[in-house]
Amino acid sequence: MTAPSTLALAWGWMPELLVAAGQTLRMTFFAYLLGASAGLLIAFGEMSRRRALSVSCRVYIEFIRGTPTLTQLFLIYFGLASFGIIIPGFAAAVLALGLHYAAYMAETYRSGIASVDRGQREAAQSIGMTGAQTMRYVILPQALRVVIPPMTNSAISLLKDTSVASLIAAPELMLRANDVTSEFYMPMEVYLITGAMYFAMSYPLSIAVRRLERMTARGRRMVTDPA
Amino acid sequence: MNPAVHPGEWTRAVHLLPYFLEVLWSGTIMTVIVTAGGFVASILLGVFVAALRTGSSRLLAGFAHAYVEVFRAVPVLTQLFIIYFGLAAIGIRLSPIPAAIVGFGLNGGAYLSEVFRGGIQAVHRGQTEAALAIGMTPRMAFRWIVLPQATRIVLPSIANFAIGLLKDTSLASAVAAPELSFRAHMLVDETYLSTQIYLLVAAFYMAMSLPLSLLVRWLERRGRPARAA
Repeated sequence: MTAPSTLALAWGWMPELLVAAGQTLRMTFFAYLLGASAGLLIAFGEMSRRRALSVSCRVYIEFIRGTPTLTQLFLIYFGLASFGIIIPGFAAAVLALGLHYAAYMAETYRSGIASVDRGQREAAQSIGMTGAQTMRYVILPQALRVVIPPMTNSAISLLKDTSVASLIAAPELMLRANDVTSEFYMPMEVYLITGAMYFAMSYPLSIAVRRLERMTARGRRMVTDPA
Repeated sequence: MNPAVHPGEWTRAVHLLPYFLEVLWSGTIMTVIVTAGGFVASILLGVFVAALRTGSSRLLAGFAHAYVEVFRAVPVLTQLFIIYFGLAAIGIRLSPIPAAIVGFGLNGGAYLSEVFRGGIQAVHRGQTEAALAIGMTPRMAFRWIVLPQATRIVLPSIANFAIGLLKDTSLASAVAAPELSFRAHMLVDETYLSTQIYLLVAAFYMAMSLPLSLLVRWLERRGRPARAA
């Protein structure tokens, strides 16, 4: 095969990959939304005084963190199917990745909340705020700035992990790359360009994380170093 | 009718359990081999790249930096496919297991080099200055003063990395490496008992990762007072 025809072929499949990259972003977005909201609930559940609730949240987190994303994805996709619940690959991937990241994000939220000085809570309560008010107006706003860099890091990992969804044939970039590879048999070219597309999507986020980390580090030093 | 919703599926799974355990056990051995191989490769490459990045050559540091940025921004699965399918297309044929070890090593090396660099930078400058002041060469100061302290700092991160790697090796099933997840897919194809088999597989991974995460917690507890002192 000569070089020009390789290039011509590449023009043939490149638009397909770009469309699929859009699907990857869509999957990342929905899974992130699910993970970030379910994660907050799990974090509150874990900090709850009701033992049954906090223990089951703990068990959930340990299970998710102890097993591969792939196994969880297969449990949801093939497992649910065996109970007669058939959901499309895309929905299964969003569900599995969202529930997976919820466990990690719960830990992020928890450490963010723990990082807020005890005095803040005591001060809020001494001026007559209820527990819920203290959480909403005093603790969470301060925890948020600590939590933003790791939450952005999660978005990067999530974006990359959506590639695993190709293994249950959910429509996204990696699946399309596999299809294109078997159609044109140019694995090296296709996967390198696929890699470049992932890079183009995730690298701006990792630069953002570095900026955010520098910003929050500066902020914290000003707040906690009165001397 | 869907055979799997039949109430007898759990009974069938129990009957087949010895067979499942036997097949999954052989996969577990492969998982351990890929994890161990990938781990050693990651450590070696990570140390080498961290040395380049902190070294005196601007050019080499630049290459090392580019390597780290690229390999951390692309999914491991894509990297595995480039190494397994991509290299095969240009005449370099690797078997699934070596391909997986190379893939996880290249990916892990990029990640660990950052951990090592962070660990070395976390050792207070005064330590090096003091070592130089008592007449140590820079090499001696690094070997005997900085490295032991940096090692202690990075140990929890390395153990955490090992847990992540162990779970990531499941992706090697996509390049037909006969490890735990691959064996599980074969069993599912054979028996259609997907829920039972994947739950069992989850238990296998848990049994391997839980001791590691207890180790992380222990290392973190042990590391804390030393750093505060």
